[in-house]
Amino acid sequence: MNPPRPLSLLCELTYRCNLQCAYCYNPVALDEYRDELSTEQWSTVLQQAADLGVVQAHFSGGEPTLRRDLPSIVAAASRSGLYTNLITQGTFLGDALLDRLIESGLNHIQISIQAPQAEMADHIAGAAVHDRKLTAIERVRDRNVALTVNCVLHRFNHDAIEGVIALAETLRITRLELANTQFYGWAYRNRGALIPTRRQVEHGERIVAAARERLRGRMEISYVFPDYFDEFPKPCMNGWGRQFITVAPNGYVFPCPAAATITTLQFENVRGRGLAEIWRDSDSFSRYRGTAWMSEPCRSCPRRELDWGGCRCQAFLLTGNAGATDPVCSLSPDHASIVALRDPQGKDEPIPRRA
Amino acid sequence: MNVDTRPQYAKGVKLRHEGDGSAMLLVPEGALELNQAAAAALDLVDGSRSLDDIVAAIVARFEVSRERAQLDVTDLLERLNARGFIILR
Ligand code: SF4
Ligand code: SF4
Repeated sequence: MNPPRPLSLLCELTYRCNLQCAYCYNPVALDEYRDELSTEQWSTVLQQAADLGVVQAHFSGGEPTLRRDLPSIVAAASRSGLYTNLITQGTFLGDALLDRLIESGLNHIQISIQAPQAEMADHIAGAAVHDRKLTAIERVRDRNVALTVNCVLHRFNHDAIEGVIALAETLRITRLELANTQFYGWAYRNRGALIPTRRQVEHGERIVAAARERLRGRMEISYVFPDYFDEFPKPCMNGWGRQFITVAPNGYVFPCPAAATITTLQFENVRGRGLAEIWRDSDSFSRYRGTAWMSEPCRSCPRRELDWGGCRCQAFLLTGNAGATDPVCSLSPDHASIVALRDPQGKDEPIPRRA
Repeated sequence: MNVDTRPQYAKGVKLRHEGDGSAMLLVPEGALELNQAAAAALDLVDGSRSLDDIVAAIVARFEVSRERAQLDVTDLLERLNARGFIILR
């Protein structure tokens, strides 16, 4: 099968971070990721991606601004003709760094907040950073670069959605993303503590729908529904090996940012092989590309090219078989394990992420 | 929106031409595929040309009536405006 053209490259520049969000999707064991790619290696990867047809580069982590060479990496992406997007928690976005990033051609910045008020937000982040984030948001808003504010939702802040929207309004934000936690990495470890309740999910949907209506034309609100409460899975990455490439801090190449969890696949590294070959020929990218690998119930399902059988990483995490139907799907034989989580009891404190 | 409206790109929105004549609109966290006519219209969006100017250029370039072109361009710009990618003023 002829591989499709990838459109998007996620560069996870480092997994280092000064915060401790319990919902972090970074891997739990970080030792093997400390040997980070150099500036030159990232420049090469970006050019290889552009040659393959990629149009957008996203820089995340960890906290990508902890890389001192971030402006040089952004500049390399711009030179390769790529649209550039920085995904940051904003605690280091001072005037000087921001100006250098914009001079380097940065097109868009996404800054995350944890909650509407400092007390709750700082508790979730594990550090007193809320006010600094708000200052960074205002700095970005007033400059010539696009801005999205993001808030990851879970049981501890789900009831504060309205407050998050109000804060975004006060800050005159035009793009807001409210994204329910995806349970990978640290977040998977904290799944029982973080998963929202059914009542929260229903309430959240009503709040978002009303706010969208009220703010039409002023604020674009995107909402990532918690897939554990859905009937069908998300079309994860728009299909394995179809549009997205993720490169980890140490150069490993993944079809999805959570794919390192799949221990039954062997992944390749940009230090050993070119990105184009990895995209086209590697077993890791080919294995779940398209629909030929599917078994029932996906194989004969009319939705198989809509959701591509859901998320391979989630299938592996929950069933031990990365080729299974995503258990989030109501047609999966393993779906009962998801339904059982929808009425979480008690208030376990989640374990903060460790660096 | 009327004939004197001068559309312009919102921050972080860029038109990208592909070798094969097609184009994409790059927006924060995504890319929208454009057909040839849409790309031609968006190519002219610069904050100084009016809707009227853009429609006239489309009529001169494609075999299309003025009415049709005006409807299509207006529809395109209004849809992009609703998503915050194009500013109308
Ligand atoms: S989710 Fe929190 S801990 Fe994880 S990288 Fe982002 S800011 Fe750091
Ligand atoms: S059976 Fe497979 S293809 Fe059908 S809806 Fe469920 S996950 Fe999607």
